[in-house]
Amino acid sequence: MDDTYSHLRLWQLISPALPVGAYAYSQGLEYAVDAGWISDEASVQDWISGVAVNSLANLDLPVLVRMYQAWQENEDEVKRWSRFLLASRESSEILAEDRHLGQALARLLSDLNIEQAVPWQQSELTNFPAMFSLAAKQWHIALDQTLSGYVWAWCENQVAAAIKIVPLGQTAGQRILSHLIEQIPSYADGAMKCVDEEIGVLCPGLAIASAKHETQYSRLFRS
Amino acid sequence: MSVVLHEQSWRAQLELGFARRAERTVISHRKHVGPLVVQKPFYPEGDVCHVYLLHPPGGVVGGDRLEIKAAVDQQAHALITTPASGKFYRSNNTLATQTQHLTVAGGAILEWLPQETILFADSHVAMTTRVDVVEDANFIGWDIVCLGRPASGEQYDRGQCRQAFEIWCDEKPIIIERALFKGGADMLSAPWGMAGYSVSGTMIAINADESLLQALREIEIEKGRGQFSVSLIDGALVCRFLGHQGEAARRCFVQAWQLIRPKLIGRQASVPRIWNT
Repeated sequence: MDDTYSHLRLWQLISPALPVGAYAYSQGLEYAVDAGWISDEASVQDWISGVAVNSLANLDLPVLVRMYQAWQENEDEVKRWSRFLLASRESSEILAEDRHLGQALARLLSDLNIEQAVPWQQSELTNFPAMFSLAAKQWHIALDQTLSGYVWAWCENQVAAAIKIVPLGQTAGQRILSHLIEQIPSYADGAMKCVDEEIGVLCPGLAIASAKHETQYSRLFRS
Repeated sequence: MSVVLHEQSWRAQLELGFARRAERTVISHRKHVGPLVVQKPFYPEGDVCHVYLLHPPGGVVGGDRLEIKAAVDQQAHALITTPASGKFYRSNNTLATQTQHLTVAGGAILEWLPQETILFADSHVAMTTRVDVVEDANFIGWDIVCLGRPASGEQYDRGQCRQAFEIWCDEKPIIIERALFKGGADMLSAPWGMAGYSVSGTMIAINADESLLQALREIEIEKGRGQFSVSLIDGALVCRFLGHQGEAARRCFVQAWQLIRPKLIGRQASVPRIWNT
């Protein structure tokens, strides 16, 4: 399989146009703004990059590595890591988000003739990284690209949410993304070296923000 | 910097088993090695076995390994607490570990209400609490960590603690919480992290429902004193606290416990007397 094919497939997978509805989720960012914890470009950048390096790079990515490797020969391992990931989600909203995105991607992949996705459409174990890694494997996207692509899609979504919520200008959003791009390659490296016992690092403020968001009076986002 | 395990240090182990007898829950099994003991149980509410865990040295130094196992047998009901906060001292890069494994059998109840753990600056710690339950078992518990001793002017600017608090049901994970506190890290001051607070606590109660969630949402922390949140994650209530004082975390969780206990266990909660001394 040549590089161009796998690159195109990665772009397809991480496009904001991927019909899974990721744009509806802010993961606590909406509460953090509402509570006045973050309010401008600098503090938004700190929030997104802090959550990326602590939470995403220490939980989602090392789990993605394991799922990606497990898809080929051992689907039970994918299930085991799915349970672990879902049990690690900080709040009911973030858990629900992971399930919704995962199930939406499972439906899409089924429609694109990836048969392994079919039983995951309705499963309680379904989560976004499980389906993302399945697609990556099927489409021959290299592991490091898969990890960086996953983070990129998350960052882009967070920045898009911040632009609406704070609000910030489009250029400010691009500056934040440029900053994040500098860091993303190191996350993938770290995730590949992470041992099982070190997976999962709580960000207490994020956990509180996402739990409080559940009762936030006026909100645009579902998490 | 690598952290090493010292060979010459305290290894303390305590094993406790609780069983239901005709009238009440008793300690049916007890084994200890090293300085980790349990006092004679007492029964302020009749049948529930209340137990204090004691660590006579009063603090843990690098190289120490503390291991606690408690198993609550079918239909038994135990409440475990500690008479004082736990302390991990400065440790010259030597790791101290505390491992707690709690198992709760069918129809049994375990309330795990230890006082807070204080991490001195430059302590190196791995703390794990794993709770294994079965379908119809009940567990209410918390874990409170205080970073440094800000009241004495000691910030947590060096050191590291990995902390895990996990609930498993029939060998499957229900709630996994793992934290990494690193002295001087961004996480301690950033709003997504500790937000400048020095105390972090998590309380978990399983088999909860929406009405309990609503009730707990009414708990308020005085403005500027901390943050409290609650979420119902697949039937497990997860409460989180951030604040400046271990005692404030405990007060907050006791409030939650007073709402949770009557609902889940059918008993009123009264604060263990040892906490008031």
